Amino acid sequence: MNLHEYQAKKILKKYGLPIPEFGVASSVEEARRIADELHLTQAVLKIQVHAGGRGKAGGVKFAKTKEEIGKLAKQLIGMKMVNQQTGPEGVIAHKILISKPADIEKEFYLGAVIDRDSARPILIASPEGGMEIEEIAHKSPEKILKLPFSSDGKLRSYQLLRLTKFMGWSGPLAKQGAMIAAKLAKCFMDVDASLLEINPLVQTPTGELLLLDAKLSIDDNALFRQPEIAAFYDPTQVSVQEAAAKQFELAYIAMHGDIGCMVNGAGLAMATMDIIQLFGGAPANFLDVGGGSSKEKVAEGFRIILSDPKVKAILVNIFGGIMNCATLAEGIVNACKEQKIKVPLVVRMEGTNVEEGKRILKESGLKIITAEDFKKAAELAVAAARGKK
Amino acid sequence: MAILVNKKTKVIVQGITGHAGSFHAEQCKEYGTKVVGGVTPGKGGEKILSLPVFDTVLEAKKALSPDATLIFVPPPFAADAILEAEDAGIELIICITEGIPVKDMLEVKQVMSRSKSRLIGPNCPGVITPGECKIGIMPGYIHKRGKVGIVSRSGTLTYEAVWQTTQLGLGQSTCVGIGGDPLNGTNFVDILKLFEKDPETEGILLIGEIGGDAEEQAAEWAAKHCTKPLAVFIAGATAPEGKRMGHAGAIISGGKGTAAEKYAAFEKARATITKSPAEMGHAIKQAMSK
Repeated sequence: MNLHEYQAKKILKKYGLPIPEFGVASSVEEARRIADELHLTQAVLKIQVHAGGRGKAGGVKFAKTKEEIGKLAKQLIGMKMVNQQTGPEGVIAHKILISKPADIEKEFYLGAVIDRDSARPILIASPEGGMEIEEIAHKSPEKILKLPFSSDGKLRSYQLLRLTKFMGWSGPLAKQGAMIAAKLAKCFMDVDASLLEINPLVQTPTGELLLLDAKLSIDDNALFRQPEIAAFYDPTQVSVQEAAAKQFELAYIAMHGDIGCMVNGAGLAMATMDIIQLFGGAPANFLDVGGGSSKEKVAEGFRIILSDPKVKAILVNIFGGIMNCATLAEGIVNACKEQKIKVPLVVRMEGTNVEEGKRILKESGLKIITAEDFKKAAELAVAAARGKK
Repeated sequence: MAILVNKKTKVIVQGITGHAGSFHAEQCKEYGTKVVGGVTPGKGGEKILSLPVFDTVLEAKKALSPDATLIFVPPPFAADAILEAEDAGIELIICITEGIPVKDMLEVKQVMSRSKSRLIGPNCPGVITPGECKIGIMPGYIHKRGKVGIVSRSGTLTYEAVWQTTQLGLGQSTCVGIGGDPLNGTNFVDILKLFEKDPETEGILLIGEIGGDAEEQAAEWAAKHCTKPLAVFIAGATAPEGKRMGHAGAIISGGKGTAAEKYAAFEKARATITKSPAEMGHAIKQAMSK
């Protein structure tokens, strides 16, 4: 789960990390009140959306006067940000972060991830902050330091010494930098994070380090033991379909094509999108209804696919394992009866109880195109989306 | 021959009294697997499917000397279940559970790296040697004993591959689902090594997906050491960057872990590649007839 910058900063603040004072506003009045409370005469305003590239998209503004804070807040609250990451639909900023500006002398990068290869959490540091870490890795890989740490979030003192030397910090700056790195590592493990990025971490002219931006993602599988963080979930940042799918524990990801897909199993669901593209079509979504799916989940999956106006045809591809084909067939029949499906529906089923599943579909009297195998199913779905029978 | 499991393999099921545990224990038993008992804390002394239930894995180990364990324990307790099985000295630990937190798996990985036991999964369909032993949740009837070793990060996509090779008459020696999580116990390379040594496996079908670099490592190993025909499909060529495609491990991040990179690695390793998931069976057939 991705967090907003303000949510990440709230968490990091609890660790005593140096963050410029900030507030969160969802209205102009609130923005003005924050300016009063924090005695701001100037401020940085940033839209809170789950997408990168906010600055370039015009979602970050600098208010030079107190009056400007209100004016800029009006511009930014409700702003729709559209870039490559958001897709053409864009995302709406319902909240903005209002922060005390900081003077910047130098920018650094500090981050942490789980390294899949070594199966360890690692701290990533670079004295070249302010740009994407991938860009630094590409341009000057020697300017990146990686330090593995323990699963209880502990960096060793020799590692911290290496870090401060690598970053070019000395004296009080080194002491503060080491403290920040140690706390970030601890926080990373405490909150079951999968990604943490402080970019930039800045040095002010007075020789202080400040965390200016923060990006934090949490392991979805650990949310059951992170109730405070789970409550940060913001359904406004995903499509209506994705939000509905999450409610029913279905894995749904919106795509840009016109063939709605319903598949059981993540691998087969990806492969189904791939084969649609191979035959010249384009998938409208990724939808994994899961292994042990119920009739209700299948019906909900259908509702979600049908609520996407782009969908011109639907392809159901199920390989029954734990999920038996009869359950799936009943789910499809229920969903079709409940809401009139106007687009062509192609169904391919194989596996456990397939004969019974096929019988249920056949006897339902519904107009369903059945496909004998995977390849045929994809061909039929692509043809159907193009209006060919 | 086959790999990992055969008709002699004795299996216990952890979480055997749960819904999934009891259902699949019965399915495995019906397939002919030697399921000898189960473990559910607090239910020791009871019987299910006329099998004895124990409170701990150690007790089950002492009473039944199982070779393998099949884990259906819910995610918050699954890492503990794996560690318990390892501690009891069970040689083969197969964990089906999906949704184990990564942090829990960090500790499991540390322990497993120094252990004599092998962990398959988590978040996997399990292992099957057709006609002899099924330890997992795959539908048994789609399999047919034969020549192809199948290894995959997916569940249902593996069934698809199995079905295709069955219909082409090739059959399978052993099928291994290594799981869709970012941190898992056994990787492609480990299984390739076993298939390479297994005389019954005449060809290998590897099914990868986006995320991580397990496929690249497999390609590198295969280029140097694999003497058998190898066919490959990678799922997720159409997946957008930065989105987790159902599996916790299936994510392209920072431009890394794409299907294109993985295909390129296998092309370099001179494997037979198919970009159509409907042609996985044909691809390995073609590779084996070269």
